[in-house]
Parts: sequence; structure tokens; C-alpha cells
Amino acid sequence: MIKATNVSLKYPDGTIGLKDININIDTGEVIYITGPSGSGKTSFLKLLMGMEYPTSGSLKVLGQAISKENSSNIRNLRRSIGPVFQDFKLLTGRSVLENVVIGMRFLNFSNNEMKSNAYMAINRVGLKHKTLSLVDNLSFGERQRVAIARAVARNPKLIIADEPTGNLDRVNSLNILDLLNSFSDENTTVIITTHATHLINDKIDCKRIRIKEGIMTIEEKCYESSI
Amino acid sequence: MKVLFKNTSYFLNEIKTIFKLNLLSNIFSIISLSFIFFMLSLVISGSSITKFMIKSIEDEAEISVYYEEGSSQQEVLNIQEEIRDIDGVKEILSVNEEEAKNKMNKILGKESRIISLFEHNPFSPYIEVKIDLESVDSIINEIEHINGVELVRDNKEILDKLISISSLVNIVGLFIVVAVSIATVVITSHIIQQGIYNNKEEIITLRLLGAPEFFITLPFILEGILMSILSGLLSIGMVRFLTGYLYSHVNGVLPFIVLPPFNKIIFGIGIFSLVSSFALGLLGSLFGLKSTKS
Repeated sequence: MIKATNVSLKYPDGTIGLKDININIDTGEVIYITGPSGSGKTSFLKLLMGMEYPTSGSLKVLGQAISKENSSNIRNLRRSIGPVFQDFKLLTGRSVLENVVIGMRFLNFSNNEMKSNAYMAINRVGLKHKTLSLVDNLSFGERQRVAIARAVARNPKLIIADEPTGNLDRVNSLNILDLLNSFSDENTTVIITTHATHLINDKIDCKRIRIKEGIMTIEEKCYESSI
Repeated sequence: MKVLFKNTSYFLNEIKTIFKLNLLSNIFSIISLSFIFFMLSLVISGSSITKFMIKSIEDEAEISVYYEEGSSQQEVLNIQEEIRDIDGVKEILSVNEEEAKNKMNKILGKESRIISLFEHNPFSPYIEVKIDLESVDSIINEIEHINGVELVRDNKEILDKLISISSLVNIVGLFIVVAVSIATVVITSHIIQQGIYNNKEEIITLRLLGAPEFFITLPFILEGILMSILSGLLSIGMVRFLTGYLYSHVNGVLPFIVLPPFNKIIFGIGIFSLVSSFALGLLGSLFGLKSTKS
């Protein structure tokens, strides 16, 4: 699913994003990436999304090499990923339904499939009653759920959530993490970055990647009590 | 292609959304573009009308041959025979005083009352000669040398003037066509750039979701084309109004000027405006997209 070999990322201004990363993530895993702000969590996700390219080493996501040479295939790769951005990146002035459907419009779904997938995803994130509401009128937590619905409705092989608990209270954060965990199955890998390590559910089977100053360490258990 | 048809309603909604984001600016752009297309349409219609007039004069090329007063019928017949034998002469017709007067009455229309002020018919009989315009100079030269011919009047001078006017209209028209095309492309590309700038976040999101470039850019291209076509339609309305006004005045004041049928001109201008507005809108949109590629 994801294989990184000696991957480093250095930004043009000289800042080190990631240092010599070696990691292998299998299909169906739930991975929590934790670390303080600026440690390199988002840099790693950017690499996975093809928003940045490794300055050295080799990285493969869903069989596609993440490199400048392979940049023409990055869009194809992104179609297999369900991203949940930290700032949601919802389309303002559009309804919840339209925001969820937009992620499927250019994929191989018929109109009926798009609608049924969207309704199912919206239902699953608990926003059935707001299906036709404009996202502009939703609360922060509700927008977060719309972003998750958009990510999962297109049946991605990889769900990437960047700080999904960012500005949420404890109850909402737990709900969101539980929700994201629930989408992992034998075909779908879920990768979540968070600094709220105390919220990670101890009942799920997950791995944890700690990042500090661009260096990664992998732990077989993700919740706090095991650390 | 499947994605295109599947998302037709989405693209139309997107165009509406993009248009609304800059409503006032877009409305002003449409008005500006319609005035630009209006100028273009005027030049094209002016050119068509002068061409039509030249063609009409060419088709009706004729000269009037006046013979000496007091010529006998036999002498007139002899002149006619000699004219008939000249190369390039198609048809000849003898016009007597009364017919000459009637012809002028018809040409002058309402103003023909001026003729009734004469006590006697002021018109002389003449021979009307329909000719091949290309041989006009040699025909006139030969007729002038026929015994008994007093004066040969032709419409070559008018024709030459019309041709020079037509050339001027064509040259000016060419400049206007180039200027209008550049202006349209620039305005449309600015509209597109503005639209892209206002939808920057949305474009980034779609790219991150893996949307193909044509899916992202198509609404902007369609917006540019639709706005341009809308401007073209507005300009057709303006041209129709102005041409209708001019036609009614020209037909009233200068009834002897032959104008092409009004509907034919408007139809031609309509088709031209629609096609050119589509093409320039498309070009402007692509140019706008290209210049904001990053």
C-alpha cells in the first residue's frame, strides 16, 4: 500500500521536513501519526498526496511512485485517496450533498451511484437532516463531518485525515476519530495525523508513527496506555 | 466524454455560480463586448451593403446614348444597328421623351413633383444600352465615334466611387476586425482570469481530489463562450435596430439607392456575430486559462 525507503524531504528554503524515513503500511491498517506542531506530520501527508516530492529516497503509494518524473500520474493516484483536510476545503455556496458528490463526479460512478454513495456517507456521518443545507451554515464539527463524508463516499483505498480533531472539543473529537476508524476494512487504509494522542481509542487495532523533527519511529500499538 | 455528459447540469450550475461571483463586473463586460461586436457588425454590414450596391450597378451596367436633335427615325435606327454590332453590347432599347420622363418620375418618387413644374417635357429621347462592364471603355469609345451621336452618359464614375468607398470600408473594416478580435480576446481572458482567481480555493480542492484539468477548466471556458455569445446577441439587437432605422430613412430620402433586402442583411450579420462571438469567446477563454495556468 505505502512503501517509503530512505525518504527525505527538504523544502526550497532549506527547512528539513522529513529525514530518512523507512516505512511499510499494509492495506487495511489504521495508522495514527503523532507529533508536536511542525514535526513533519503534514509534510508526510503531503508526500502521500503527491503535493510534495521526496528530495531523496523512494516512495510508493498504491503502487505509484511519488516523484517528479511520475507527476503526470499523481492525479490518478489522488482519485484513489479520500483526503480530509485540516481546513476541510469544502466548496462554499454549495449544499452538503453537492460537496460530497463533487468528489465522485470525475470518477467511474453513474449518477445513481454517486447519489446513493453520497446519501449513505452523509447518513453515516450523522448529517442526514442537513443533506440539502449549505455548508456555509454548518458548525465546525458538522463541516468536519461533511469533509469525511466526501472522502469516504468515493470508496477510496486510502483515507488520509490531517488533524481531524483540530479545533473540536473532546466529545466531538472522539466521535470523529471513531468515525474515521470505522471506515477501515480489508480494502481501505486509514491514516490520521493528530497531536491529541490521549483521544486515540484503545479498543482498535492500530499502529502509531511518531514524528519528531522529521524523524519517524513506528510503534505497533497506537494508544497512550501502551506507550 | 462520459464525464462530460454525466455532469452537464453540474457544469451549467458552475457557470451560474462563477457568473454570480462577479455579477456586476460580468454584466459590464457583456455590455462592453456587445458594443465591440456592434462596431464589428456595423463594419461588416457596411461592407456587405456596398458590395451589394456595386454588384447591382455592375449587373445593371448600362449607358445612355443621346443622338443629335432632329435625327430622323432612319438615322436613329442606323445608330442602333451600329451600337448592336459592338462587342460587349448585350441589349439596346429606344427610350422616347415620355418614357424618359416616366423613368425619372419613378426614380424621384415623392420628389417627382419638381418635374411637373416644367411646362414642357425637359427630357430628350435616348438609346439605353446594356453592356458588359468590363468592356465599358472600348464600347464608349466606339459609340462616341458613331455618326449622329451627341453624348454618351455612363455610370462608371459612380461605380468607381463606390468601388473606392468599398475598398476604404474593407481596409477600415479589416483594422476594426483585428482590433475587435484583440479587444474581445483580452476582455474575455480577463473575465476568465478573474473567475479563476475568485475560485482559486475551489480549483485547488478539485486538483487535490484528483479532478482532471478539463473538468476544472470547462466551466470557465463555457462561461467565457456564453458571455461572448450573449454579447453577440445583444449586438445583433442593436444592429437590427440601427439598420432598420437607416433603411427606412434611406428608402424614404434616397429611393433610387439599391439596398440589399433588410432581412438578408440581418440574417447574415446574425450568423456572423454568433460564429465570431463563439470563436473569440473560446479563444479568449483559452488565452485566459493559459495565462493563469499556475
